Amino acid sequence: MNRIRRLLIASIALTALGVAAPAFAASKGTIYYMVPTLLDEFQTESVAAIEKFVKDVGYDVVTLNADNKTDLQQSQMNDTILLKPAAIILAAVDFNALKPGIEKARAAGIPVMEFDRQITATPSDFTSVAGTIEIGQVAAGEIQRLLKEKKGEVKGKILQVLGDPADPYSLDIQKGFEDKMKAFPNVKIISLPAMAWEASNAGTIVSDQMVANPDIDLIFLHAAHLSVAAVAALEAKGKKPGDVMMISSNGAPVGLDLIRKGWLNVEVEQPLYAQAAAIAMFADKVVNKQEIKAGSYKVLGLDATVTIEKWGPNIKIPGAAIVKSNVDEPRFWGNLKAPSDKITPVE
Amino acid sequence: MIGNRNRAILEFVLDNLVWFLLVFMLALFSMTVPNFFQMGIFVNILESSTMVGVMAIGLAIVIIAGHMDLSVESVAALSAMVTGILFCSHGIGIGWTLTPEWLALPVSLAIALAVGGIIGALNGLLVVRLKMDAFIVTLASYIWVRGLVVAISGGRSAQDLTPSIRFIGIDTFMGIPIIAWIAIAGFAVFTFIMGKTPFGRHITMIGGNQAATFRAGIAVDKLIWISFILAGAIAGFAGWLLAIRTSGASAGLGVGMLFQAFAAVVIGGVSLKGGVGKLPGVYAGVLLLHSIQTAINLMGMPAHYTQMILGSLVLAAVLLDTIKITIRQKLT
Repeated sequence: MNRIRRLLIASIALTALGVAAPAFAASKGTIYYMVPTLLDEFQTESVAAIEKFVKDVGYDVVTLNADNKTDLQQSQMNDTILLKPAAIILAAVDFNALKPGIEKARAAGIPVMEFDRQITATPSDFTSVAGTIEIGQVAAGEIQRLLKEKKGEVKGKILQVLGDPADPYSLDIQKGFEDKMKAFPNVKIISLPAMAWEASNAGTIVSDQMVANPDIDLIFLHAAHLSVAAVAALEAKGKKPGDVMMISSNGAPVGLDLIRKGWLNVEVEQPLYAQAAAIAMFADKVVNKQEIKAGSYKVLGLDATVTIEKWGPNIKIPGAAIVKSNVDEPRFWGNLKAPSDKITPVE
Repeated sequence: MIGNRNRAILEFVLDNLVWFLLVFMLALFSMTVPNFFQMGIFVNILESSTMVGVMAIGLAIVIIAGHMDLSVESVAALSAMVTGILFCSHGIGIGWTLTPEWLALPVSLAIALAVGGIIGALNGLLVVRLKMDAFIVTLASYIWVRGLVVAISGGRSAQDLTPSIRFIGIDTFMGIPIIAWIAIAGFAVFTFIMGKTPFGRHITMIGGNQAATFRAGIAVDKLIWISFILAGAIAGFAGWLLAIRTSGASAGLGVGMLFQAFAAVVIGGVSLKGGVGKLPGVYAGVLLLHSIQTAINLMGMPAHYTQMILGSLVLAAVLLDTIKITIRQKLT
């Protein structure tokens, strides 16, 4: 009797699986997201955002973390190509080193979308960026404003704390920033890198420079988590919020907290949610190899522009300057309120 | 032939070569690097060297015992993250408050030491009981413990350490940050333990000749295990200090410190083969490294050069060590 019951249950289970199978088959395929590292909050939140938005438009998402190692990401790329996914979303550890991998994937018929880190050395199927050079330019504009408000003109001494000197992301921000500041010869910029983006290295740089150059007017840090250590170093030197102006970039939650406390004047945001949403919006077109048209698009309510570049369709969503008056707006990813509305693919 | 007095002077110089090198470099930087020669910079060097210095104490003990611990950096990161999560009020910090408030200090310290000690005990267990290679065991720990940091933090940061702990990173005593005094005290205590207690002498003997030490009736396995536990707990302590200095923790905190600690240990005259080395030399090595880093910061030299200079320095230290051994052989 028990045996019959077990057989009956097994049959029901198998039937249920059979019924359920079409539900699984509804997926349009698997898209792999190659995240460069999980050691910073932007990247961590990008995983959550991309997984949510890309699932909204019908794909399964698998995320692979490269631990900031170029060779590991190259291997992941090679392995993923063998799995024949619907597409690959790549946030490259090294902008140029992944070029052969991108070419190999595309030659195998797998579309590649670039997220956050623009690769111009070879064509890809879609690129969604805020523009690292533009982040530096936005920061420069804000710094000019802050110096003018404090000193009546754009002059003074700036300490620029970069990320790892081998990371093109930080070097691009530096380029955008310094290019814009060239017009102001009365601004002296001291640039030093925090090796491996490690926070205490940034703290040490700030400690040393505040002793050697006590007349520093403003500190510009290339990531919000570096500003936490910088604030700790300033506190240890007896400084109070507002004594030294500070600005950082990427819009991480820690940066927004520091704005609320008065330590940070400005955080230049990378519009993470919009960048991720754009990937999802255009995923169908990329996977189905349909034409993406240049023009203006609304991405999560933000104005974005698609241009057709020599490296392929490129959507650029400008980063915003976060200050005390707008810090609590939910559109900033640092407030960790991911949009709950479903993403709709572009027709 | 060399006279007894000259021989004694030469021995003294050889024993303290790294200190002489430190004084020479500080003098050189003071003369050549703008803004270097001032009290604030020397205080900064003491302060910034604290975490690597403390970490290097535990690492040196294990190396003197003839083994290796590559996990100290990740252990420090884990302990910093646990401290951050429990005692920070923003980010992923849960802002655990204790009554009375001052309890946060000993409780957080005990937790940090325990976190490090447990991982050290696990490393020691695998090395001593299962006879696994310490290099591989601790390399694995270096990887999985950092993974654990990322996992428990979700890649996010904790910030705003409770003031009842944070004051250690802000206040000074006799013009020197408390955090720097802690490193100095740590080196003093462990210099005494390694030089004047049976434990320290036995650890050095084990590193010099494990088989002979065992035959002499010394509990070799137990002492090696203790050295791993100590290295872990001290790394946990370094992580606690790191969280205090940065007023929180991020998933990448402490990345690169293992290399610095190793460099300091080697520059400080500890032989990677075990059995040789004194902790004051290690402290001089740490101060030397941080003096160079500070000088590079002040010169505005790109950090790429820091790595090159540090690498060259380690090589120079090993060369000096070889020369020292040759000179000593000629003296005897």
